[in-house]
Amino acid sequence: MELRVIEKEDTMLAIEIAGEDHTFMNVLKGALLETDGVDAATYDMNPEQSGGQTDPVLTIKTEENVDALDALEAGTQRVIDKSESLQAAYDAA
Amino acid sequence: MTEDYEVEFVEREEREARFVVRGITPAFANGIRRAMIADVPTFSVDTVRVVENSSVMFDEQISLRLGLVPLTTPVDEFEIGDEVTLSIDVSGPNTAYSGDIVTSDDLVQPADDNVPIIELKDDQRLEAEADAVLDRGREHAKHQGGVAVGYRHLQRVEVVGDKEEFAKEEPEILRGVIEDDGELVATETFDNDLTNRYPGKEVEVHDIPNAFVFHVETDGSFSVDELVTAAIDSLHGRATELKEAVQL
Repeated sequence: MELRVIEKEDTMLAIEIAGEDHTFMNVLKGALLETDGVDAATYDMNPEQSGGQTDPVLTIKTEENVDALDALEAGTQRVIDKSESLQAAYDAA
Repeated sequence: MTEDYEVEFVEREEREARFVVRGITPAFANGIRRAMIADVPTFSVDTVRVVENSSVMFDEQISLRLGLVPLTTPVDEFEIGDEVTLSIDVSGPNTAYSGDIVTSDDLVQPADDNVPIIELKDDQRLEAEADAVLDRGREHAKHQGGVAVGYRHLQRVEVVGDKEEFAKEEPEILRGVIEDDGELVATETFDNDLTNRYPGKEVEVHDIPNAFVFHVETDGSFSVDELVTAAIDSLHGRATELKEAVQL
């Protein structure tokens, strides 16, 4: 997983996450939208045939006093919590 | 923990299962589904060295067929790219089956031994050595561990009244799992026809939000439990990796 920051402001972040696809990006986007302080989160990905940018670019916008990078970290933590919780529930069944 | 999930099995066998997950978002459910199909690695024959092939098929065709034979894949024992050597030697008149494949590592062997590879007539012979490699479904479909993986909403059937006296008698087909008084009922139990279960009643069907019925079937490479666990693990691993990368 290689990261490349494309644009960074206090409350805005555009970052390329190389090697990932919809499987992880959509889960991450979904988790970010549930995270406190996140105003908007989306990712953009082009099909291989289009040429050019094919790795997903994640864009996050946050509320005024929230740093976008911190929000991304909180979002990933949320995915971790979700998967641990689901695993526990599956094991219990 | 931020989320509280609830998992309940409708059917559960080694290679096939149906279970309901409650409290899961569509995005996460789809992530799990996609991970099961494309991200959980399995062994498959990738390179074949043909010693003798006097059968009626080209080496390439035989190789493709060998590649499609599901091989057991122990979880956590191997890494992506690891190879295991297999061999096959069958002389006609006989049919070469996946069960004739001899493995150099007992952990990796054909999941079923009754997959036909080719029928050999008199004086025909197939002898080959093959390297099975561990890779993901997104590289080639032969590496897919989950072969029929999907989900649909859990549904609730609401009786809203009686049918009109001369209403048309039409079947109301519904497939999936419905929840009735807290009990999970597979629609096959009433022949997928709601009029069998609620005769003479007017019914409405509603999706239950964030409750999904997963149907998972594996090709025998591993059990359903191992597949689900590995899929969740793969999302967990990527989230952990990204988190660590962001912290730097």
